Amino acid sequence: MWLHMTVNYTSAVELKGVFKWYSEILAVDNVDLNVKPGEIFGLLGPNGSGKSTTLKMLLGLVQPDGGSVNALGINVQEDAVAVKRQVGYVPESPRLYEFLTGIEYLDFIGDIYGMKTEEKRARINEYLKALELEGREGDMISSYSQGMKQKVALISAFLHRPKLLILDEPLSGLDPRSARIVKDLLHKLKAQGVTTLMSTHVLEIAQALCDRIAIMYRGKLLALGTMDELRQRASMPGSGLEDIFLKLTGTGDIRAVVEELLK
Amino acid sequence: MNWKNVAHLIRVDMKSGRLIRGQRLTRYRESRLFTYLLYGGALAVGLAAGAIAGFVYNTVSVTADPQLRALFQQGVLNLFLSLPTLVLIFSLVFTMMQQIQRSGVKFSVQAPYWLPITWEEHTLASILANLFGFPIILIVFISSAIIVLSVFMGQIAYAVLTSFALLASAFMASAITEIFRILQVRFIGAVYKSSGRAAVWVRFVGSLLFFIVFYIVYFLITSGTGAIALVQTVASAQGAVWFVPFVWLGMILSSFTNGLFPQALVFMALSFLFISSLFYAAVILNRRFGLYEPPAITISRGIYAPRTGLLGKLGFSTVEVALIRKDLKAFTRRRELMFIFVLPIVLIIVPLMQSLGATGQPMPIQASLFLFALVFLMPSALMVTIMGSMMIGEEGEAVWRIYSSPISAENFVKSKYSFIVFFSILVTAATGVVGVAFFHPSVRAIIIGLTESILLVFALGAVSLANGIRGADFTELPRPRMIRVEWSFINMIACFLTAIAILIPLIPYASTSILFSSTQSAIALYQGVIISVVIAVVVTFVAYKLALKNARELLAKAEA
Repeated sequence: MWLHMTVNYTSAVELKGVFKWYSEILAVDNVDLNVKPGEIFGLLGPNGSGKSTTLKMLLGLVQPDGGSVNALGINVQEDAVAVKRQVGYVPESPRLYEFLTGIEYLDFIGDIYGMKTEEKRARINEYLKALELEGREGDMISSYSQGMKQKVALISAFLHRPKLLILDEPLSGLDPRSARIVKDLLHKLKAQGVTTLMSTHVLEIAQALCDRIAIMYRGKLLALGTMDELRQRASMPGSGLEDIFLKLTGTGDIRAVVEELLK
Repeated sequence: MNWKNVAHLIRVDMKSGRLIRGQRLTRYRESRLFTYLLYGGALAVGLAAGAIAGFVYNTVSVTADPQLRALFQQGVLNLFLSLPTLVLIFSLVFTMMQQIQRSGVKFSVQAPYWLPITWEEHTLASILANLFGFPIILIVFISSAIIVLSVFMGQIAYAVLTSFALLASAFMASAITEIFRILQVRFIGAVYKSSGRAAVWVRFVGSLLFFIVFYIVYFLITSGTGAIALVQTVASAQGAVWFVPFVWLGMILSSFTNGLFPQALVFMALSFLFISSLFYAAVILNRRFGLYEPPAITISRGIYAPRTGLLGKLGFSTVEVALIRKDLKAFTRRRELMFIFVLPIVLIIVPLMQSLGATGQPMPIQASLFLFALVFLMPSALMVTIMGSMMIGEEGEAVWRIYSSPISAENFVKSKYSFIVFFSILVTAATGVVGVAFFHPSVRAIIIGLTESILLVFALGAVSLANGIRGADFTELPRPRMIRVEWSFINMIACFLTAIAILIPLIPYASTSILFSSTQSAIALYQGVIISVVIAVVVTFVAYKLALKNARELLAKAEA
């Protein structure tokens, strides 16, 4: 169980004045972000807005060109391995070792995180059953559908009881039942003190799941807050996240585009 | 048949072929200057070769006695007769080689399957696209040479007919390769399905056997003596097996030369029917199995492995054992990695076959010692050099798993290095047994060979791993690259120099004992071995440290 976690940091994630350049492109522009322990935090933004780069910086997968990145009270640049030990990560398009079977892959992950054999066995079985992969766990991953691969990637993120989950489009390709299980699981984990930082393009998911949401656009944080705070910020009381998002990112005027395509 | 579709598909197929071979294309329209230069070069060399042969023929005609002239003329005609069959064999080998290159490709271009293209167009384009490159270069060279030579010999019609026969032969070879490609996918699928849990091992052993046999045939027929033996065999045996469709093109020429024109027409019609039937067989097979998906391989063994097992007792951590186990599965399950086991075996078998089969007499002791050293040292040295260089890049795009997991540079390098050293020492043991069985060396030679081989494995392993980390290329599409070309080159040079540095202290002793059969005192030998050990230890230590440094940089800069 993940219950009764000892938390000795005030922010699960803390970014201060973070910059990241890719050649001439400023991917992340002076971002300050603070995610509280036990929070489900959503990162929204159009393609290329800097979400994935921000998430990768939290694991030390991308080095910032300026500012500081802390996760679980540890400076990521100083001790990335210590952070990785406590984080579960699912990238946007997870490439798995396709020559392994599903169970071999999860077994490998359990060993990488130093899990005991009995615990590893029990937890893998639980997840395989919950996400309906039972019966296919002995097949090579190369024969899995995209959704099945996503399930394996999610299990590998949850397996070692991480304190922080960094999920880039976690529900992509999942069937409705599995998506629901993952959403419920994230809620339960939140109750147990696990922090989740996720990016998604599905605004309904963000609205339903996240305690707070940040909207990124061209590397900058445009807005950050709860749904009510975002509505106030956009001066759109009673609106859904989609309308707020389109207004804040300046991509709302799509009618003309559609008209043009229909000509 | 929409010929425009065929032309477009040929272009797409050729472009994908170039991508698979590693050329990076950035524009849709690219410069084909190099390709045209190759064809132009083949034409120029062919014309020159024909002119030289014609000049020799003229000289023989003027100066030599009639018997020699007749012999020369008969020899040339025999060569002409066997050319279609020879081109068929060579084109078959080279088009098969192209298919083998594509076997490591991660995905196939399936767009043609849902575009409005018929199976006839698709199959014809695939067959023709296979011909571009070596088969066409070979035909351009041979045709230009024989046409020029035929001018001197007064056999122009015969030469032109031969050129058409060569084109038909190459088409026949490519059609056979196309049929083989489709059947191979279907057959492999059926084998996996029926072999169940043993599918992985069936695939491993089957692929190794196929590659070994193929490469041995390839090296034998492309080597000088092998090619000459093949020409002689084809020229002499063709007439005796006239009923075999593959020699019908040669039989057309044979009948034509002997003035048997009705017979030539019959073989022409038969050849046309045979080539058409090959093409339509390929079309039918493509229609039936072109979209076939091989069944999933189910393996239920090896689950919930103990955390460390035997490797743990040898001092490896859980993380390191997990990485080693994962790599072991990669090398036995990924077809594009299996060649690593094939290459050393083939490179030893071919020279052994040629050297042992060349004379049929016992070899002199010096040659025997040299070959023993070659067999003992080369395979493992070559294996560790190649394996080390691709050990990091083989992670492919799944390398994010390494980056995002709590794996330190020390864990990473130790597991990778142990893996390549362990495998290469196994190869040393195996080739040592072969060497001892074939060449019966002295106990001293065995001990020295074993020592040097192990030193090479440790030193070259560290050097190639350091280079492999620095030059890792995780690109997987269209096929896994594993190491950047320039780093592969640097690695080869670095490993070659390292091997020379380790072996050089033994060269004075080895050269005098092999070349002059002198029995120097053992002290000179042992001094050489000690210096060799010192050099190997220093190189291994420095290269391992470099590998660690490179790994730290790699893990800290995952974005690059």
